[in-house]
Amino acid sequence: MRRLWELAGVALGGLRARKVRTALIMLGPILGVAAIVSAIGINESSKGHLKAVLSDLGTDLIVANAQGSLGGFGSDPRIPEDAAARVTRLPDVESVTGTLQMADIVTLPFEEAEDFYRAFPVPVIATGLNLPETLEVLLASGRFLNDFDVSTAARVVVIGRDLADEYGYLRGEARTIQLNGIDYGVVGVLDYVLLEPSMDSAVFLTFANAEEDLGLDSRDPSRLYIRAPTNTKLVAQEVPTVISLGGPDGANTSVPTDLLDAQSQVDENLNNLTKMMGGLALIVGGVGIANVMSISVIQRSTEIGIRRALGHSRGTIAVQFLLEALVVGVLGGILGAAAGAGVVWLTAELRGYVMVLSVVGLVGWAMVSVAVAVVAGLYPSTKAARLEPLETLRLG
Amino acid sequence: MSEVLLSLDGVSRVFGDEVKVHALRDVSLDIRAGDFLSIVGPSGSGKSTLLGLLGVLDLPSSGAVRIQGTDMANLGDADRSRMRGGAVGFVFQQFHLIQHLTAVGNVETALLYRGLTAGKRHRRALDALEQVGLSSRSGHIPVQLSGGEQQRVAIARAIVTDPLMVLADEPTGALDSQNASNVMEIFADLQSPERAICVVTHDLGVAARTQRRITMLDGNIVADEHQDIDEGVR
Repeated sequence: MRRLWELAGVALGGLRARKVRTALIMLGPILGVAAIVSAIGINESSKGHLKAVLSDLGTDLIVANAQGSLGGFGSDPRIPEDAAARVTRLPDVESVTGTLQMADIVTLPFEEAEDFYRAFPVPVIATGLNLPETLEVLLASGRFLNDFDVSTAARVVVIGRDLADEYGYLRGEARTIQLNGIDYGVVGVLDYVLLEPSMDSAVFLTFANAEEDLGLDSRDPSRLYIRAPTNTKLVAQEVPTVISLGGPDGANTSVPTDLLDAQSQVDENLNNLTKMMGGLALIVGGVGIANVMSISVIQRSTEIGIRRALGHSRGTIAVQFLLEALVVGVLGGILGAAAGAGVVWLTAELRGYVMVLSVVGLVGWAMVSVAVAVVAGLYPSTKAARLEPLETLRLG
Repeated sequence: MSEVLLSLDGVSRVFGDEVKVHALRDVSLDIRAGDFLSIVGPSGSGKSTLLGLLGVLDLPSSGAVRIQGTDMANLGDADRSRMRGGAVGFVFQQFHLIQHLTAVGNVETALLYRGLTAGKRHRRALDALEQVGLSSRSGHIPVQLSGGEQQRVAIARAIVTDPLMVLADEPTGALDSQNASNVMEIFADLQSPERAICVVTHDLGVAARTQRRITMLDGNIVADEHQDIDEGVR
């Protein structure tokens, strides 16, 4: 045991005496392990985040977009209002909301901003009254549009969260905005809609108001949001038929969370690529260790000769050099794992993920670094052990 | 007659496979406890080869090298290395100190892997440096020491294991005359009835300060004579 400690001391001394070179050969394992650990960590944290988002959003929301010629030639496709009612009657469907995004509406928070908002129009969406329930989104403040607004033809709107920030809207503030020059009172702010981020900067009004004030020709929506907690995929397949009733082109449906799942698959592929690159960096690091240590053996041939003359055996010399490689691997692995964990932590902080990092994985990859370093150190240490002291000491 | 510490019995050393070079031819030699001997001869006479065999850094092509009766050819590398570390202390012309170690660190290197505690190694290394008058420079690295001081560190490293034989290869070759004289004085002081001191040299003045002179030529020992120490050369 004491012999091993002495060998470790000699190996550490050898590495300490050549700090820059030691740092350089350590870079390979550090980069390799850091790349792999961060790729896995970011992937896991991102997956965890995605799972949390999916769980928040629910995976039971279907979006049906009008498609084809139902609305007539030359106009944007629409879904007949009664078709939306038919979808509502489907088994498994909990709620349905129709929306229609309107074009060419100038929305102003105040008149002086007209030029700007003509250039950058705000989306205006005519919507059914149960949009928050169907999307499972809360109101950030105030209330959503309701039957009373419809029956009294009240000129009221709800605005998205980003638009509220843009307008400097204060919670509970009595505020009007103009839609094509007509004043509307803001009665609420819809919270962030994760599955439809475009809604965050939109204005919502009732179909009745859209007909009355903005020249909407009918209450047919162009899009339906359908909440079907059970048999979601089956409902998604049925909806186009229910809308078209066998007629030409009705609607196409999608489940937005499927897109997120697909997104996570893409991320997975990217992370596999990063892992492979990290593995490659480890192998290159190993080759670097073998290369630099081989050169080092030549440079230190006199030292090796001296140690042999002092009675150190070939085996002792080999173990000394192997321990140097081992120390490089251990330190490289630890530093690499720490750096990788740091990258994961930073990414999680920046993107708002919950950091997911496996300690077993960290230790495992550090051990891989050690193994790579030891394998890489085999050749130079054997080479060192085979040096003939008579040749390196230049006697006589 | 004192004990034979090291013996060469009919030793030959041939280098090369296709073109053979006979560096030593049937050399026999006994080195006894208390010997203070020099090996002299021109370049190519076989001094270095003889030195390698005496120091167990090499094995003969034929014949036997024995340390206290043990044939080195019968030992594996680990045992031979252990035997070398215990029986022989080397001093080289170019000092051959390990550059990143301090003086005491260099001396301690000779005591590694012998089952000694770090404290014991350090104390013995300091004692050896004290013996060569360098205890005050124990914390200095080789570049901070003069040539003479470096050679004294090398001598301390050679004697710290209390070897049977100190083997010095041109120990004064890289030193000025004053330092050379100091080094030879240290060797003279190291003489003891239990230990042999063997100096390989070109310098006949250095050889004149030893009690026994072996002359080599073309791989053979051509003279092995005892002589009175020439104090005047000091």
